[in-house]
Amino acid sequence: MSSLLGNIFKGWSDYTKGNEEGGHHDYEHMYAMVIDLDMCTGCNACSTACYAENNLATVGEEYFGARQAMHWMRIERYFDEPNVGEAEADTQSRGASFLPMMCQHCNAAPCEPVCPVAATYHTPDGLNAQIYNRCIGSRYCANNCPFRVRYFNFYDHQETAWPAPMEQQLNPDISVRSKGVMEKCTFCIQRTRAARNTAKNEGRAIRDGEIQTACQQTCPTSAILFGDLLDETSAVHQAWKRHQVQLGKYAQNKTNPELRGYRIFEELNVDTKVLYLERVREV
Amino acid sequence: MSDRKHLTREQTKDIDENIAWASINTDVLRSMENPRRGYWVAMAVSVCLFSVMIYAEVYQYMYGMGAALLNTSHMWDLYISTFVFWIGMSHSGTLLSAILHLVHADWRKPIYRFAEAMTTFSLMTAGIFPVIHLGRVWNFYWVMPYMTDRGIWPNFRSPLIWDAFAITTYLTSSVLFLYIGMIPDLAICRDNAKGWRKPLYTWLSLGWRGDDRQWRNFRFTYLMIACFLIPLAVSVHSIVSMDFAMSIMPGWHVTTFPPYFVAGALYSGCAAIITLFILLRYFFKFEHYMTFPILDKVCKLTFVIAMVWTYLNLVEFASVWYGHDIPSKEVLIAKATGPYSPFFWGMMTFGSVLPFSLLSKWVRRNMYVLFFASIFLNVGMWLERWMIVTPTLSLGYHPQAFNVMWPGWTEWAMVGGSFGWFGMLFLIFVKVFPCVSMYEVKEMVFHRKRTIYEDVDEMMTLHSGVPGPKAQAQTQTSGGA
Amino acid sequence: MSKTKINRRNFLKVLGLGGAGAALAGCDMPSTVTLEEGEEKIYSYLAPEEYVIPGVGVWYASTCLQCPAACGTHGRVREGRVLKLEGNPDSAVNAGKLCQMGQAALQAHFNPDRITAPLINGQPASWDDALALINEKASGGNVAWMTGTVSGHQRVLLDAHLAATGKGHHYAVETVNARAWTDAGKTVLGDAMPTLHLDKAKAVLSLGADLLGTWISPVTFMGQYGKFRAAPRGVLIMVEPAMSLTGANADQWVAAKPGTEAAVALGVGHLLMTKHGLSLNGMPNATSAFQSMTPAQVHEIAGVSEAALNKIADTLVSHSPSLVIANASHAAARIAMVLNIMLGNVGKTLTPGASIAADPLAPMMGSSKDLAEFAQNAAAGKIDAVFISGANPAFVAPQGLDMAAALKAVGFKVAIATCHDETTKACDVVLPLSSALEDWGTHVPAYGGKPGVVHLQQPLMEPLHADTRGLGDILLTLGKSAGVDGLDAFEDYYGYLRTAVSAMIGSELEGDWHRVLQAGQFETRAASRAFSAGHDVALGFSETAVSGLHLVTVARQGLYDGRHANSSWLQEAPDQISKAVWDSWAEIHPKTAASLNLKDGDYVRLTTASGAITTRVFIYKGVHPNAVCVPMGRGHTDYGRWANNGVNPLTIVDAHLGDWQSSEIIATASLVKIDAAGENRHLVRLMDTDQQYGRKLVATIPAQQFGRTQGGA
Repeated sequence: MSSLLGNIFKGWSDYTKGNEEGGHHDYEHMYAMVIDLDMCTGCNACSTACYAENNLATVGEEYFGARQAMHWMRIERYFDEPNVGEAEADTQSRGASFLPMMCQHCNAAPCEPVCPVAATYHTPDGLNAQIYNRCIGSRYCANNCPFRVRYFNFYDHQETAWPAPMEQQLNPDISVRSKGVMEKCTFCIQRTRAARNTAKNEGRAIRDGEIQTACQQTCPTSAILFGDLLDETSAVHQAWKRHQVQLGKYAQNKTNPELRGYRIFEELNVDTKVLYLERVREV
Repeated sequence: MSDRKHLTREQTKDIDENIAWASINTDVLRSMENPRRGYWVAMAVSVCLFSVMIYAEVYQYMYGMGAALLNTSHMWDLYISTFVFWIGMSHSGTLLSAILHLVHADWRKPIYRFAEAMTTFSLMTAGIFPVIHLGRVWNFYWVMPYMTDRGIWPNFRSPLIWDAFAITTYLTSSVLFLYIGMIPDLAICRDNAKGWRKPLYTWLSLGWRGDDRQWRNFRFTYLMIACFLIPLAVSVHSIVSMDFAMSIMPGWHVTTFPPYFVAGALYSGCAAIITLFILLRYFFKFEHYMTFPILDKVCKLTFVIAMVWTYLNLVEFASVWYGHDIPSKEVLIAKATGPYSPFFWGMMTFGSVLPFSLLSKWVRRNMYVLFFASIFLNVGMWLERWMIVTPTLSLGYHPQAFNVMWPGWTEWAMVGGSFGWFGMLFLIFVKVFPCVSMYEVKEMVFHRKRTIYEDVDEMMTLHSGVPGPKAQAQTQTSGGA
Repeated sequence: MSKTKINRRNFLKVLGLGGAGAALAGCDMPSTVTLEEGEEKIYSYLAPEEYVIPGVGVWYASTCLQCPAACGTHGRVREGRVLKLEGNPDSAVNAGKLCQMGQAALQAHFNPDRITAPLINGQPASWDDALALINEKASGGNVAWMTGTVSGHQRVLLDAHLAATGKGHHYAVETVNARAWTDAGKTVLGDAMPTLHLDKAKAVLSLGADLLGTWISPVTFMGQYGKFRAAPRGVLIMVEPAMSLTGANADQWVAAKPGTEAAVALGVGHLLMTKHGLSLNGMPNATSAFQSMTPAQVHEIAGVSEAALNKIADTLVSHSPSLVIANASHAAARIAMVLNIMLGNVGKTLTPGASIAADPLAPMMGSSKDLAEFAQNAAAGKIDAVFISGANPAFVAPQGLDMAAALKAVGFKVAIATCHDETTKACDVVLPLSSALEDWGTHVPAYGGKPGVVHLQQPLMEPLHADTRGLGDILLTLGKSAGVDGLDAFEDYYGYLRTAVSAMIGSELEGDWHRVLQAGQFETRAASRAFSAGHDVALGFSETAVSGLHLVTVARQGLYDGRHANSSWLQEAPDQISKAVWDSWAEIHPKTAASLNLKDGDYVRLTTASGAITTRVFIYKGVHPNAVCVPMGRGHTDYGRWANNGVNPLTIVDAHLGDWQSSEIIATASLVKIDAAGENRHLVRLMDTDQQYGRKLVATIPAQQFGRTQGGA
């Protein structure tokens, strides 16, 4: 009984402590991403790599049409707006714009405070994590996500997505989500954890570039960069610094406003950790 | 009693002060017995609707939430809007019982009991929806802060947790309010009951004998709960509104939502009272108690609240329209012109235009017209909730997720089933408990008689020396209970 | 995830019994053993080999066979199962990267619709019976082979088998090929596969070559494209009738009428000569061809405005060195080669190709010319027996070739395949093939590798199905029974391959072999190649048909030519351009749609001289008004549970039109009639909008600004 009470009180004090610090933990790492939209060709390799790495279910035409697909990493395609409705322009005069969109791992994630059971929370790695076991499927988090990158298991997909022997391909490092829970991009948390354990076993810090997310690793043009924003030597930190984008701000004060770095929906002050670099247009 | 002329729509007095106390008992107790065919038909319809809901839930449990055609853009739909609708309905009882009790509006007395029952049953209906809409409904109790040695707590920052607390508290309080207010009546039932009812009422009436001490304690308790209930009612719907207002989605993140929701709740509650008022009056022949003048007052109250609701609605539209939040404005424009626009204009018509018909005395005194008008007022209020939830989700911030979605069959089944469940509970209630407060009607009759006759008697005696109506009444009336 | 590279054979010892009766091997030689035989070899994880840690993945190098590019891969293996593929960073072809088709090789391997036992006339049979039947029916006469692109020792064994059986021919069939480009290279520069340096080019003009999507070696090109886009940023210009993935990334996208890219290229050359004063020394034929194609004519023939043409020419001159590539037609490819000479790109962005000295191992590049020739020869009764592996002629052949009748005319047909498809259904004997992840092999990348490098393919997993065999093993068996000299010494293909590779690397040592396995590649002698001086070839552009609607069928990275339609990942991966999934569609221009009163999702019937298909329209401005683009790959009838959707536009491509200069079937030259079929159903897509609605999702900046910040430094 005393241990029960002790645990409860400890849990409570941890909880209030987290609250006092603005809901943020003391971060050990702050994993972040940089995506160069000028290099992205929209080829979809990252998305398929994500299906392979993260046990994403395919849902088939009917459910895809009902918008119940589970693509954590989706490649959106836009055409330039003046070009689309222009009466004089017979055909497109240049290519499309591609946007790889996945969980932005907001530091002030709107999904986190609204979860009734705290199934989505911030890890000490600075990741926005989803605890499948804790999720009860209220789906409030997905409603509150301006990026619409949270995917709900509307069905059990095990039978249809992985008919035997395809279940042998499932990555044992992460679970196969069951009906009724929310899921989303984890920045390949299994790879992050594996690297952390390896580094710990070898008694060293995690090296920059040691962790590659599945999308980053496969990206044929190397448009994706991933790393620890707190590590000042990391390529990601350098890129954020070079583009004069800082966390915790909803309007960047750049000394050189021509720099390409920007964050999507920065004005919502959700403090995303994916830095996009603008696509370049020949005029 | 045979003279029913004064019960017509020309009636001016809230209640016939000459009703004999005994006949009050007789009338009300009679309503609790011998269900007629209409009752069984209504019960059968309710049970059928409820069974469809059970079937839909089992199906959805086996198949997944996809059965409701929810999708990545529309994670919420009719379940949540119907939840808000039923929470809104629950505010009528509190309004009539508690607020009007505190302001001594005694015309509430014949009708507050069923309104309170409606409160309780609406809450019991509303409570179903947040549970069935969970992806893993078997874990619904995780939202409660129960003791666990893993030290896991719910997330107290989440409006859904506030909902859970608010609704359970409100439900508990309203059940208590209903029950405590019923104790003197249960004693009357006990005294007249036979068979299985006898032990039930004996147990429920808690040994009520009607002595002074009991009345004093009873009055005090009832008043306290009434006082407690009013802020609670306001807070419950404010908290429900925070499910939306606390989010960052355009169309949801609206400052005026709490008062707007409370107004809407009172509105739909009043409309529902009119509906049930007419039904009870018609089926239980409660013409003596549920009179046109009272209905008239309820209608006027409904109109006032409808205007408040309309005003808050327009305030919201105006602040979005003149603001510079483009996504919010898109949602507003899409509501009025997009695929959901028929429902939006339906809501505006039923919610803001239809109430003006209540300005007509002819409407207020015509049961048939009023019955359908009240139904449509509530249809409008249900559409309002749907128009809050769905159009926002169909647009939002990210263009990739723009999507128009129509509810699946399980959603409709559960919306219909919720009316079945509510109807079932209400039908059971009216046959087990007195749906008109006997002791309060007696009080009302007593007070009215005193107020009127004492003044007149004094005047008449003073000026003409002829015995006034009081004296005459004393010779006519045979006494009370 | 440590990349511990360890001895593979020891690893095989500890494989647990996999699911579904997977075979086990506890022996050095990865020959097939049955479940019963393997039982005593089950090792407990309580006493594993010292390097096997349950829960820790180990990476093995192999080669991707999802398309002819032959990228190097690393496969992550855990508890005896291959879980994930990545690019092999040591491979010069793909430098550690993979495309989505490469990622989906896992699904080709674990596919639930694999063939698990030999079939004779559709009935399960034993290997002995099947091989006996093959010996009986396919030992003499004209025994042909039909394959996709093959190289390495499989090709050596295949050639040996062909030589031993007699006068047969090897038909290499690839619907998606670079035949026009390689032929032009050979003709003009004397090198079929010159090396392209996208990363060094400042401007690239592509005439219908989808280099980021499906052309030759897309991962190689995409890797270079990443550098091409770094500051100073290169400019990509695409000329084509319907937007490809490359077009979708182009800075200038020019819609030309189907089949008129050559005219545009000539027009560019004309402007380069007249406006920018460039000239071609010693190439009078070419010079006159350029001179005679004025911009006004280009506008008339191809529908490309003079302004656009001027912009192309100006860009090519101002952004030197540039690079011109083409795959639209033989004429366009030749003109592109000559334009490179004119622009002085040869030697800068276009250098002699890399290849190996051992010619028998060199890739046999497939083409659709071989498909047409096979159909003609078979129909004429010239082929007695055929072995088909890695090709699906019954699916990719246009109706005009009448492949069904051609196959019927072949007396004896053997399919060697991993999955049932339209072709295996028409074959007498079907031999179950191990998947690419279960098999041994060597592959010489046609493009992008270092000179003299051979990629090694090694099994990443024991065979899922006990009764399947590798292509090398089957070839070895066939070779032995056909009496090929010197094969009897080898028990299986592994032994053969190891001996052959040891000979090539000049070492029999175990350690050297392991180094090859670890690297997934080895170097052998490279052939030194050089360009011959530019040949003054004829650069005519024969105007076939430039009016009316034309059917354009294109391959997209994903389903490719249809071979990946049985992968649920690739079916569910939205098409890069239309973002549609799980079904076919026809891309048409809004003008075309307006003239026919069509709206998105309407079904239309597309009728050519060869037949008709019915599919839904997708309306956008990425196609020329004269083109109807239907991507290929769908419309399978017998290719497993996931492939039965959509329509196959290849069937209605007119087989007898096109670039008959080299008998290549050109997928843009069929006149098509389009009729509304009445029905309308929403085309399932990732997103139904093309616009950002004022949101700052994909922000853009002008190139000058990019130049000023040097990409953000």
